Amino acid sequence: MNLWPLLLVIPTIVFAQEDMWHDDDWGEEDSGTVWSGFVEAGLGTRLDSDPLLDDRKTLEELRLRIEAEWRPGNTTVTLKADGIYDAVEDDWNAEVRDLTAAFSLGKNVDVRAGRQVQTWGTGDLVFLNDLFPKDFVSFFAGRDDEYLKAPGNAIRLTRYSDPVNVDFAWTPLFEPDVYLSGERFSFFSPLAGGNVAPTPPFEAAEPNESFSNGEFALRLFRTVAGREYALYAYRGFFKQPTAFTASLEPIFAPLASLGASLRRPLGPGLFNIEVSYYVSRDDRSGTDSLVPNDQLRFLVGFEWEAKPNFTVGMQYYVESTLDYNGLIQNSPFPGFEPDRNRHLLTNRLTYRAGRDKHTWSLFTFFSPSDHDFYIRPVYTYRHDDHWSLIAGGNLFGGRDRNTFFGQLADSSNAYVRVRYHY
Amino acid sequence: MSIRFFLALATVTMGISVHAQALTDADEIVARANLAAYYAGKDGRSEIRMIIRDAQDRQQRRQFTVLRRDIDDGGDQQFLVVFSQPSDVRNTVFLVDKHIDRDDDRWLYLPGLDLVKRISASDKRTSFVGAHYFYEDVSGRRPSEDAHELIDTSDEFYVLKHVPHDAQSAEFSSYVTWIDRQTFLPMKIDYTNPAGKLYRRVEVMKVENIDGHPTVTISRVSDLSTGGATDMQFRFIKYDIGLPESVFTERSLRSPPSDWLQRPEG
Repeated sequence: MNLWPLLLVIPTIVFAQEDMWHDDDWGEEDSGTVWSGFVEAGLGTRLDSDPLLDDRKTLEELRLRIEAEWRPGNTTVTLKADGIYDAVEDDWNAEVRDLTAAFSLGKNVDVRAGRQVQTWGTGDLVFLNDLFPKDFVSFFAGRDDEYLKAPGNAIRLTRYSDPVNVDFAWTPLFEPDVYLSGERFSFFSPLAGGNVAPTPPFEAAEPNESFSNGEFALRLFRTVAGREYALYAYRGFFKQPTAFTASLEPIFAPLASLGASLRRPLGPGLFNIEVSYYVSRDDRSGTDSLVPNDQLRFLVGFEWEAKPNFTVGMQYYVESTLDYNGLIQNSPFPGFEPDRNRHLLTNRLTYRAGRDKHTWSLFTFFSPSDHDFYIRPVYTYRHDDHWSLIAGGNLFGGRDRNTFFGQLADSSNAYVRVRYHY
Repeated sequence: MSIRFFLALATVTMGISVHAQALTDADEIVARANLAAYYAGKDGRSEIRMIIRDAQDRQQRRQFTVLRRDIDDGGDQQFLVVFSQPSDVRNTVFLVDKHIDRDDDRWLYLPGLDLVKRISASDKRTSFVGAHYFYEDVSGRRPSEDAHELIDTSDEFYVLKHVPHDAQSAEFSSYVTWIDRQTFLPMKIDYTNPAGKLYRRVEVMKVENIDGHPTVTISRVSDLSTGGATDMQFRFIKYDIGLPESVFTERSLRSPPSDWLQRPEG
């Protein structure tokens, strides 16, 4: 099904009578249910052909978002759900991004239970201690940034008090990232020694359902004189299926992590630093060739407004694999293993004009050690309170096929989205 | 008639005579205007809607509730801004820790990503959510950032000229304010750019007395060079409601304090 004509049809479907803001209409008090959302059409195409995938389309979908909020008693119930016709997968999908009940326990504890998107940490599109699920496929296909964060079914408890606030998120059933599966983008397989795009799409076995196979994430945080300090701990699994069983089936390796971060103003801008120690629970010695090793991850960043309406952000990130010699000596694919230190530089440039009517953003990932890059230009035009248009690209390249962005060299794409908020 | 009554009467009369006597110290006028415009009561709440009109007269709207708490009169303050309209910014929350001796701390909560984004100190004279108002207009510009000069005193207004100490810190080279001599509210502000051109104007369209405080209830900021303006209307204003410090924390970004955001009765 070709979705192009829908771009022309949407306006007639959803064009609502312009609600005049009468002088005395200040809206209802927030007691009843509030409904809102958007309709969006998105189209994206590969810039080069991928020999493994016939379809040049990387995005072709029509999406209806419904958001609702109501407050029975002291509880806030939130719903955010998408209904999608996805022409790339040739399928109708429904996705609940948020269905939660939020309430307070006593004076200091907030509870949020249900399906929800969660975020913490200081990185800009670089994640160390944020081990909540990400949807890289949506991100690479040019869906809204919001979709980089995938929802998970969790219970979040936050206790606000001195001397430190405590945030605890329990995800009873492991929620992995939405990883590359070969459906929309091909990906590198060390077993094949090159890119693959299997049919049916690649799917790794998830850990058995048990209490101890749930995910436990903890954050202690406090802001003192504008400085945000945080400590993190996590017990669960690597979010991507980077380990193998003895029969070489991909699986998620058990993971624990400890970390810390600081974000503070510095001169004209904001400085952030974050560190995380990843413990590969099934391979502490680093000698099991089928399981990832321990890692030390480090991030430092600075962001400032260089000129009015022009913001610059820079980050340096390094992933250091521990017991590296053990990894290389025991690896069946020593040539495809990551470098001891994977360095990554990111740069974000944002320019706003016409009171935020136009936003140009350019985000660049560049790894001098992996010799690969990912460039992400996005232009957003906000026509009015209802209509917006987003056009952008996802440009990948690299010297080798086995690096994170290098495997996507045939996946570079350009896309356009039109959205109507109601 | 008791002696107390006479004392009270004397105080009132003296009060009036003090007002009638024109002030001559520019810094003192600015300090009093700052208090009148930003520090009425110990705290307060207001619902605000903005109608943003561009040069082609296309309209956009924003509606939000502001909670404010003063730590010291004329000193540090806290603001919490919770958006209710339009739908793409609904539940976005903006938190400001305003400081007198250093840059303000500002955070923006984006509910779609569950992201607490921090805004850098330099980013303050840019559009506030698409309006002609700047971030800095929401919480106020520190008086110490400019040199103040009293250039005229009329029956109604003190007219002052302000020049930034750091010319790089703002897009204007100077601005002139008309400060009401009775209420000390700045009624008009004209901004001049380095080319010497008047390009921006903030005007008060309506003042009402609320809980004993003269309060701006309609204001407008106009872009005089390209056209377009934003009207800002304030409703459901209440002062001294007893806002605790805990309202102005990360907790309120993720879970806006509905008890305090509720519209007051009457």
